Amino acid sequence: MTALLATICLILISIIVVQIGKVTELAGKIRGEEEYQEQLNKRQANYSLLFMVLFLVATIASALYYKNSMLWYGPNEAASEHGSSLDSIFNITLFFTGIVFILTQILLFYFAWKYRGEKGRKALYMPHDNRLEVVWTVIPAVVMTFLVVGGLDAWNEVMADVDPGEEYIEIEGTGYQFAWHLRYPGPDGKLGARDYKLITATNPLGQDWTDPKNLDDFHPSEIYLPVGKKVRVRITARDVLHNFYLPHFRVKMDAVPGMPTYFVFTPKITTEEYRRKLGALDLNGQPKYPEWHEPVDPSDPESPKRYEAFDFELACAELCGKGHYAMRRVVRIVSEGEYEDWLSKQQSYYESAIKGTDDDPYKTEETSEEPAVSETPAEAPGGAETE
Amino acid sequence: MANVETKPVVHEEDLLIEEYGYDDHFHEHHHGDKYQSNFITTYIFSQDHKMIAKQFLITGMFWAIIGAAMSLIFRLQLGFPEENMAWIKPLLGKWITVNESGVGSLAPEFYYALVTMHGTILVFFVLTAGLSGTFSNLLIPLQLGARDMASPFLNMLSYWFFFLSGTIMFLSLFLNTGPFAGGWTAYPPLSALPQASSGSGAGMTLWLLSLVFFVVSVLLGGINYITTVLNLRTKGMSMWRMPLTIWAFFVTAILGLLSFPVLVSAFLLVMFDRGLGTSFFLSEIFIGGQALDHVGGSPILYQHLFWFLGHPEVYIIILPAMGLVSEVLSVHARKPIFGYKAMVYSILAIGFLSFIVWAHHMFMSGVNPFIANFFVIFTLIIAVPSAVKVFNWIATLYGGNIRFTAASLFGIGFVSMFISGGLTGIFLGNSAIDIQLHDTYFVVAHFHIVMGVAAFFGMFAGIYNWYPKMFGRFMNETLGKIHFWGTIIGAYAVFWPMHYLGMAGVPRRYYRFDSFAAFGQFDLMNQFITIAAIVTFGFQVLFVINFFYSIWKGKKMTTRNPWGATTLEWTTPIRPGHGNWPGKLPTVQRWAYDYGKDGQEFIPQIQPLGKDEKEGH
Amino acid sequence: MNVTVAKTDYRRSKIHPKKFALLVACAGIMMMFAAFTSAYIVRQAAGNWLEFRLPDLFYVSTGVILLSSISLHSSYLAFTRGNTRIYRLLLAATLILGLAFVVLQYKGWQALAAIGVELTTNPSGSFVYVISGVHAAHVLGGIAALILAILHAFLLQHRITPARKLRFEMTLIYWHFVDFLWVYLLLFFTLQ
Repeated sequence: MTALLATICLILISIIVVQIGKVTELAGKIRGEEEYQEQLNKRQANYSLLFMVLFLVATIASALYYKNSMLWYGPNEAASEHGSSLDSIFNITLFFTGIVFILTQILLFYFAWKYRGEKGRKALYMPHDNRLEVVWTVIPAVVMTFLVVGGLDAWNEVMADVDPGEEYIEIEGTGYQFAWHLRYPGPDGKLGARDYKLITATNPLGQDWTDPKNLDDFHPSEIYLPVGKKVRVRITARDVLHNFYLPHFRVKMDAVPGMPTYFVFTPKITTEEYRRKLGALDLNGQPKYPEWHEPVDPSDPESPKRYEAFDFELACAELCGKGHYAMRRVVRIVSEGEYEDWLSKQQSYYESAIKGTDDDPYKTEETSEEPAVSETPAEAPGGAETE
Repeated sequence: MANVETKPVVHEEDLLIEEYGYDDHFHEHHHGDKYQSNFITTYIFSQDHKMIAKQFLITGMFWAIIGAAMSLIFRLQLGFPEENMAWIKPLLGKWITVNESGVGSLAPEFYYALVTMHGTILVFFVLTAGLSGTFSNLLIPLQLGARDMASPFLNMLSYWFFFLSGTIMFLSLFLNTGPFAGGWTAYPPLSALPQASSGSGAGMTLWLLSLVFFVVSVLLGGINYITTVLNLRTKGMSMWRMPLTIWAFFVTAILGLLSFPVLVSAFLLVMFDRGLGTSFFLSEIFIGGQALDHVGGSPILYQHLFWFLGHPEVYIIILPAMGLVSEVLSVHARKPIFGYKAMVYSILAIGFLSFIVWAHHMFMSGVNPFIANFFVIFTLIIAVPSAVKVFNWIATLYGGNIRFTAASLFGIGFVSMFISGGLTGIFLGNSAIDIQLHDTYFVVAHFHIVMGVAAFFGMFAGIYNWYPKMFGRFMNETLGKIHFWGTIIGAYAVFWPMHYLGMAGVPRRYYRFDSFAAFGQFDLMNQFITIAAIVTFGFQVLFVINFFYSIWKGKKMTTRNPWGATTLEWTTPIRPGHGNWPGKLPTVQRWAYDYGKDGQEFIPQIQPLGKDEKEGH
Repeated sequence: MNVTVAKTDYRRSKIHPKKFALLVACAGIMMMFAAFTSAYIVRQAAGNWLEFRLPDLFYVSTGVILLSSISLHSSYLAFTRGNTRIYRLLLAATLILGLAFVVLQYKGWQALAAIGVELTTNPSGSFVYVISGVHAAHVLGGIAALILAILHAFLLQHRITPARKLRFEMTLIYWHFVDFLWVYLLLFFTLQ
């Protein structure tokens, strides 16, 4: 019914519009084409100028209004060390392109208005001017060189892998349809070997239990990291392409099946500090970012405020199928002490899910009588019979 | 179309052509015009480039309406995810799931199918075939003074391969499992494994088949365009006298010829991986509870092959629009295009550079990060010829006597859009900034403005300007102007706010945003974008009405050269028959942009140079 | 790109548009194989690459297709000189050699499978199958053109008209092209 009504409205509108068109054509005939065209030119030229003003006001005003969502500004400041350098390049680029944008849009519409067709006006015969061409070839080239140098400098630093001997925490994120599976190396600080052929319901990452490095690896449901420590994320995928995306940390890298990738970054602000920043008050005691002071649940004013519930997030940024939009994991940046505390509470995946089951290569006679932790598929790895 | 001029009016053009023209004895070879002998050879299997151009245009419009309507549906989902969508069920059938309480919603699989189809249709069917197919066919022979394309038969085949390709894609919409839903770039493994997504089975098979036929169509067309430009220019039409439209179409055809075959290679390898168990792009995959045998493939290899086409493809889309706008701005500003040679060199530079920048789509794909050093440099170098073009267009307006028509307005709008969208490319091409902006709405805003809306503006400018040549009537100017103002305001309203979404980190291709606190805070903006998109679509409906209404009821063309243009197409009869010129072929005496020279309003290309006159560029 | 101003008379000494179109089409086909071979190099650099020796049959087939090019060219020369018998004979010989090439390629794939390199064994082998397969498809297109040429040669009276000369020249260009393409591919496989 709604569709029908909408269609009828549309048809009516188009009939009216066609009539308007016809009438103006008639007006042109009555007044003489040339005079009519001149009048039209004037009107359209004025519209151009009006459009230019409104457009520039709208873009600048909206930029100011949404300033807080831009990189570098307000609460959207990077939460990682390398992020600040990227944000500053963004800002420099914004400055240059902003100037060019405003100047060229003004010139374009101003010239359109200024040189509207009028009776008696002769167009200037000006086919080219080599000096001008050189000027506006060289200036963009110089600006581009400047931006390229700054950008590549930062890029090569950000994308470099950890140096040998450097101290860092290695964690692993594995994308699958449709979630992230996380793995920490445990006390030995080393991630164990994996083989995709070993993947089963109980061994979601295909860890090879004969590799002793695997025995202390644990699988948390959230990313916990200490502030100020270098982190190397090993990024893998189990089925299709995914992308390990930490928006607040300016971290993004595809997860490719069969080809591990990595991203190295250093968190520089804890979740608690970030929440405090979002909830900060200005000099007058008013919230600096009022939108973050709204309740999480709009229907319940008693629910916590948005800044209090804030968490860093891990998302997927490469289309991976129908559940692509919901691969969320929480990221918590904590102090060194809290991190150690959390680490000590984690139990290795081997201990909690594998030890003593048929999958366990170190299984002894007694442990085998214990009830299996979960159903083990028939195609358990062949190594299960050793010892 | 049966109108034949009966009045024995003597046209100045005819005299010039008769005096200086080149007699190729056309009529001695073509008694009784075998090409237009009946309805089928005139309107369906026509070999006349002008009719094929109209076929491309109208098919392109059909696809544009479908593709845009799809975008409205997924915009509804993004703007109003809680809204009851049961009312579209009659149209979309099983794509809408209705729960017990009668509330309908778009299933995520079909959301992704809509996004994928929208991209494929708009990029390939509308902005490649509909834009370049239409205007290359219409203008190359007419502006070069040729009777037709080098091979009218291959030209006809080109259209019918396009039609076949479209038919297959259309059929795929009705598959039980839905059409392909893995994004228009069709990255494996998602596109290679039927287990990975419901659209990756039969949907992907039809998608591949359709696009292979599409490539055949593009290549047949491109071979013809290149050959015609190099071999069939009329007497006196040296390369440096060609209008910029032809330069743009020519470089576009070369880009297509060199890049589309690479896409076919990639597709063939995907087909082998899908059907015959090879491992070009697949490795170590565990999916659907099963470890696959494929070992040793690289999904990134596909991305290299795809973007080797994919990047030239965006120039295949934008170059024809640039050419059309250069011509339209010059004609309606009554001024020569500023810096003709610089314009040609920048087209050539853009065409060349487009082949060595493809990996800027892949900075975050896991390729060796150090290759970025190479690709960032060349990517940002493209900004230079692009800037030169923009400044030249603005300088063309300077000092003009601008006649505001729907065509020239869209030309000016194109420049505005190209500036806005081009500048954001400087952010994305710089790999350091791309870390954050890659695959966010910033990218969506960037390419929609710079190659979506801008290319459409070029296309509209072309349609309003050459409509009289195609149909012998004018489109309604007032409606055209309403269309322009509605579209430029609407398009900015739709795509400008997306920059803010992108800078806030909101990823593209999300079915809904509320799973994440960081992305779910822009409800109002998303609603605004959706409403703006619907309104803008309304203005396009206006255009379609104007287009078809004017074919039969538009103001009739009474003079041959309504815009006072210098180029050859306006020296043909109002309704040119097959062969374009009834007698001799015109001889070209000067470049294409003598507007306002020596106090004359314009000097057609067929008029010989004066005694002491120097050719102007 | 040739952008010099054409100062010469209109269309003098210009290549026929249809022939030119064929050359442009060959450039397009060449791009497709350039893509395949680039993909081959990129993939090879990524490791996990099975090395094997190409079966000798592929060298035999190379000889056959080279021979066919020579015979077709000689046939063309005979055609222009009006020597009907040689023209027809060599044309038929070319067709037989062309068919022999396709059969030999097929035998070559069988030999490849026999030494343990099947289609799905390793990308290094898969590439050989796919690339030579797509090339064979292009040869089949050339064989279709040859059959057409043979029909013309045997059914029509031998007359050297511009139209027939053009048609023959186009068949010849395409045949030389697929020949050249195969030599390039073989050298590529051998030297990589």
